[in-house]
Amino acid sequence: MSSPDLKFGKKLVKYGAVDFNACYNCGTCTAVCALSNEEESFPREMVRFSVLGLSEDVKGSLKPWLCYYCGECSTHCPQLAQPGELMMSLRRYLISCYDWTGLSGLLYRNLSAYIAAFLFIAIGIFGLFFSGIWNQAEWMHYGHLFEIMAIASVFTVILLPNIIRMWYATVWKQTKKLHIKTYFLSLPELFIHMFTQKRTLSCNDEMSNKIWWFEHFIVVIGYMGLLFTTVVLDWFAATNILIIVLGYFLSAVVFIVSFHFIFNRMRKKTEKSSFSHPSDWFFVIWLLLMGLSACAVRLLIDLGLLSAYFWLYLLHLTILVQWALVIVPFGKWTHFLYRSFAMYFDKIVKDTANTAVRTV
Amino acid sequence: MAAVEKLSFDVLVVGGGIAGIETAINLGNNGLNVLLVEKDLTLGGKMIMLSKVFPTLDCGACITTPKISEVARHPNVTIFTNTVIKSIKKQDMHYFKSLLVRNPRYVIESACTGCQLCEMACPVVVPDQYQYEMVGRKAAYIPFSIACPRVAAIDIEHCTLCGACERVCPPKCIDFTQEPIEFQVIIKAVIIATGFNLFDPAQIKRFQYGQAKNIITAMQMERLLAPTRPYNHVLRPGDGKIPDKIAYVLCVGSRDRTVNNPICSQICCMYSIKQAQLLMGALPMADVTIYYINIRSYGKGFEEFYEQAKGMGVNFIKGKVGTISEKENGSLILRYEDICTGKLKEAEHDLVVLSAGVLANQDATGFFSDDRWEKDEFHFARQNDLFFNPALSSIEGVFLAGTTYGPMDIPDTILSAGAASMEAIRYIKQMALKI
Repeated sequence: MSSPDLKFGKKLVKYGAVDFNACYNCGTCTAVCALSNEEESFPREMVRFSVLGLSEDVKGSLKPWLCYYCGECSTHCPQLAQPGELMMSLRRYLISCYDWTGLSGLLYRNLSAYIAAFLFIAIGIFGLFFSGIWNQAEWMHYGHLFEIMAIASVFTVILLPNIIRMWYATVWKQTKKLHIKTYFLSLPELFIHMFTQKRTLSCNDEMSNKIWWFEHFIVVIGYMGLLFTTVVLDWFAATNILIIVLGYFLSAVVFIVSFHFIFNRMRKKTEKSSFSHPSDWFFVIWLLLMGLSACAVRLLIDLGLLSAYFWLYLLHLTILVQWALVIVPFGKWTHFLYRSFAMYFDKIVKDTANTAVRTV
Repeated sequence: MAAVEKLSFDVLVVGGGIAGIETAINLGNNGLNVLLVEKDLTLGGKMIMLSKVFPTLDCGACITTPKISEVARHPNVTIFTNTVIKSIKKQDMHYFKSLLVRNPRYVIESACTGCQLCEMACPVVVPDQYQYEMVGRKAAYIPFSIACPRVAAIDIEHCTLCGACERVCPPKCIDFTQEPIEFQVIIKAVIIATGFNLFDPAQIKRFQYGQAKNIITAMQMERLLAPTRPYNHVLRPGDGKIPDKIAYVLCVGSRDRTVNNPICSQICCMYSIKQAQLLMGALPMADVTIYYINIRSYGKGFEEFYEQAKGMGVNFIKGKVGTISEKENGSLILRYEDICTGKLKEAEHDLVVLSAGVLANQDATGFFSDDRWEKDEFHFARQNDLFFNPALSSIEGVFLAGTTYGPMDIPDTILSAGAASMEAIRYIKQMALKI
């Protein structure tokens, strides 16, 4: 057993955790959780690890990712210890642990770092524009090139190593066995969960949960579609009416749904939306701005007004760069990736354990 | 309403439960004139309902009734049942003036012989609140066999005014023309012994109380185990089956901030352990399991009592039950985390008993309008001087007895009644010197 990290609790507060020290270990949270089962009981175990400062146990666990934050635990917790929000904070903490650059942690803990990064990018782009090195057509061309480069480099340089680190901490360190076959057989889990997030539906039968899942599903599809349309189909340069309409449709989906998410977070009616970390706000707001600005830019192109309102394209590019260089690699976007991999890894860990039992 | 009657006493004791009874006896024995006021039809409060009491396993009724007889026959104690307090006001340094309303029983109390012929004649059946709604009673009824006064009453809300009781009553004591009588009472001191309320488990939807048929409260189990029990056996209410596997869910509505009651009720662990022991006697083949967060056996002989239950074979599982769901056959599935192993588990039980917590009875708040009646953050009466004068309320001349100021067991209630009586006597003597 590892020695406890005495500052762990204080650290978690910076990642958004509240009141978890109030826990008196009754287990109500685990018992009301629809996703918890005999093999995988949470969230109380995670609350206990957090209270005791067992950060190594948290790092090696996939349980924070198994939670989809329906909020039942927080609703029923007799001590109002907010276990749901703690699970959310642990996910943020784990993202910073997996991230080899250490920037995730820095950004999660300091709002000022977030703002500084965003300002830096904005000043860089507008500075570059006013230096006059490129004309408008060149800007559009490099903007598109940037998207392709950013996707490729963020994935290979940051996210891929991070996933390997996650695998090392949660799979390799726990099982110390490598069954290649299980890795292949479990692969469907990864894609099913990545695109459907279907576990959310097991959280509870309430209509609001179903609506939330549907919106989330739509926004994932819309976002992926928009990414495909702008990067591969080059929406801004497209002449095909189908591509143009598709782009409008997908960007509208993204900004309408993200607007509703922002609205929910402002209303705070559900447990899920009652606590918002700065990273949550940045995620939903930037998603909205991205959809909205992309839509506006294409509208200007179609109306032939882009050169007159070129600052709007620059604004869109700024939002895009901030999204691609800050939110995607270090912010909330990574949830999408790690969560799907967590489901995949969890299957591997379980199957590996099962095969071990069978061979013995 | 009839004209106001004027009365005068030394002390007004509000509440005819064990705290109020004990206080009235103490004061009466010391030569003070006492008016004991009870809002219910009978004295006895919650204690008279209990099967046995912890940790001695004395019969609740057997040790309450002598006290009730004593107070009922006491020359210095006047008892008003079915009476509510409208107001208590300080007149001057020496006196309080209280307005009481004595609600009609529609039976002439002095004439009723308690023969129960009216009960037999009455055609109206309603749930019996004294058996916690597990059986029915008539609209003309005597609350229960050891009620005091053992006098019939008409439940006018449910009565159809058919007159059947009137026709059979031998002394002709049924009188539908009775009206509330208002009293104006001058007293020197007041004892508040209004007791507590039990948490209504229906508030916690996931426990299914009121939805699933075989989930009862501990007070209902208390009745099932009592000598004057409704079914004359421990049966589950849904289908009359003798339960084989019984579960206790502790901390229902106590130590729970979601229902605004974060404090420990102090009695639930022990009464559940007591009932488990009694069940082992009543149903020797049954399994009894107690699901707890912490067992708080803090009093004299309590830990030994807990050990005794374990020795008798009662199962204790650390982990609060999260959800209860009903199966088609009426059995119940309890979902909980076994804290000792950290694993989520499900268990099936025939009968589930919810050990409901103690809530403050806030009736006294309505009595005082001019004087400052202070409450603590959990709505119990605030004790002015917790360490050295625990029976003092925030109003001079008003004293506290029993669970008025916090959850406590019966021995502590008796002690607190003693303290309140003593303080009241001291106060009256001191005031007499000041004239």
